[in-house]
Amino acid sequence: MILRRDHIAGAAFVAAGIVVLAVSQDLPIGRLASPGAGMLPVLITSLMILLGLVVMLQAGSSPPLAEVSWHDLPHAAKLTAVAAVTASLYNTLGFVISMALMLFVLVYIVERRNLFAALAFSIPIPLATYAAFEYLLKTPLERGLLWF
Amino acid sequence: MLGFSVALQPGVLWYAVLGCVVGTLVGVLPGIGPLAGISILLPVTYGLDATKAIVMLAGIYYGSQYGGSTTSILMRIPGEASSVMTCIDGYAMAQKGRAGAALCIAAVGSFIAGTFGVIMLTLVAPPLANFALRFGPPEYTALLVLGLIFLAYMSSTSLVRTLLMASVGLLLGTIGIDVMTGHFRYSFDIKELGDGIGIVPVAVGLFGLGEILSRASKDATGQVIRPKLRELLPSREEWRQSRMPIARGTVLGFLIGIVPGSAHIISSFLSYAIEKRISKHPEEFGKGAVAGVAGPESANNSASTGAFVPMLALGIPTGPVTAVLIAALMLHGIPAGPTLVNDHPQVFWGFVASMYVGNLVLLALNLPLVGMFVNLLRIRYYYLYPLIIMFCIIGVYEVNNSIIDVWIMLIMGVAGYLLRKFDFDPAPLVLGLVITPTFELSLRQSLVMSSGDWFIFFQRPISATLFACSAILLLLAAYSMISRRDWRAKLAEVDAADKG
Repeated sequence: MILRRDHIAGAAFVAAGIVVLAVSQDLPIGRLASPGAGMLPVLITSLMILLGLVVMLQAGSSPPLAEVSWHDLPHAAKLTAVAAVTASLYNTLGFVISMALMLFVLVYIVERRNLFAALAFSIPIPLATYAAFEYLLKTPLERGLLWF
Repeated sequence: MLGFSVALQPGVLWYAVLGCVVGTLVGVLPGIGPLAGISILLPVTYGLDATKAIVMLAGIYYGSQYGGSTTSILMRIPGEASSVMTCIDGYAMAQKGRAGAALCIAAVGSFIAGTFGVIMLTLVAPPLANFALRFGPPEYTALLVLGLIFLAYMSSTSLVRTLLMASVGLLLGTIGIDVMTGHFRYSFDIKELGDGIGIVPVAVGLFGLGEILSRASKDATGQVIRPKLRELLPSREEWRQSRMPIARGTVLGFLIGIVPGSAHIISSFLSYAIEKRISKHPEEFGKGAVAGVAGPESANNSASTGAFVPMLALGIPTGPVTAVLIAALMLHGIPAGPTLVNDHPQVFWGFVASMYVGNLVLLALNLPLVGMFVNLLRIRYYYLYPLIIMFCIIGVYEVNNSIIDVWIMLIMGVAGYLLRKFDFDPAPLVLGLVITPTFELSLRQSLVMSSGDWFIFFQRPISATLFACSAILLLLAAYSMISRRDWRAKLAEVDAADKG
């Protein structure tokens, strides 16, 4: 049997549904006349599992898994990693420093652009954005290590 | 008159113009859709009152429909999904030296359609809202079920896939404290999850970050055809050819706009298919047919206005954009729905009147300033997408000053990337998330009212009618699945024929 795209997609939803049902066991289902906190989640999860099975059953019309193109995965993984590191440093370093670092890394390291162009791009933009939010929009951004 | 007295206040007018300008930019720049644009700018509206906030955010939505045509006509790149059909004949017209005429027809068609849509909104929404005041929990449950099934039926992907996405959204919507019993659901001792998952991190993650992850390595900038200002006016023959397509697209778009689904996208596809079908010269389609620009551009604008009818009158989102707009109203303490017209008339009528003004502003913006917007396309994508990521992080963080929301956005971004790989449309997920609180409350209240008797949904005429409509749609969908012949297949044939 050829493993197709929708076999994996449907199976993922079925597996996710089973996990959700497992963690829903401590939620009270209640009765129809007095539904508990667990009733709707269990109903929806059951529907999700059912629909996931239908997707698996209809997988014959989907392309083989091997034909799904993953050529952009390395680039997407780099962007996700940079964004994740930025998120974890955001409260500590503050908006200006964390965003300047993120923009620099994305332009200079990920996109391999000119160093000076990357610096000229990544330093003024966070400073201008910070000033715009602080003074024009009156919505202060995270200061972090900065004193102003 | 109340609406115009609100909309013409300098402060409100300023935010209407600002929303239209930002919306045009969102429409022009490939890779940023109206949903991401609205979500990212949502926190900026915190300091504003509800009227200014909703006026600005709605301006972004319908402004993006105008702006999307510019890149379609001049570059053959749809700035927005609803402008895909404009690429075919708009770009062909541009190659023949009629870029200015194509832009003018698109802008005038959009203006007429947008204005018609607002007039219909003015006429239809208040009586619909008054009618909806009769709705109790069973009617709301039935209406939301019908909305989801309509969305699934009209979706560009299959019914099963759309319902699957909606069920994931509904499930995500159950995270947090259960309002009826106080139980914590799926919060895993993370106190920030007690209030549930926000719409903004999910929407920005799926549509902003997810889109970037899917396309960041591609540079969208290509050859741009630059129209001259003196070439903007279409010839008398081009005006004649565009009259009826604009009229048909306007009415069709509005009718599709008021039903759930990606109305602005579907309406432009259907308008193109209809124009080609009834044209005396179908062979001209794909080679610069005026009707191929006028119809779809009018339809997508009319549909985006039509989508405000159920949103304002019933509090029901017809798509992810209106879902985020409802969330924006809720953030300002204004419930969207039947009570909006009577309890907050200055918001409702101010919003409606601002759309009349906004359509005029967009007509003025899109013609003389087209050269300036085209220059924006010179920004290379490898500079643009880091900026979008930065604004995604700011936008999400500023909602609750919570880094957990940023992590949710990142997770949703990865989910959006994977969903696109596996051909799932993430829009129903956002819709499911938005309607969960109303849906769950209505469902449980209905069951409590009837002492657990499911027949309550079929004993009341309005809810029984709505459930009957749902059943008919499901039967139609099942028939389409069995016969493998529905409107998606027909549209795919039209699209394939045009590409061929």
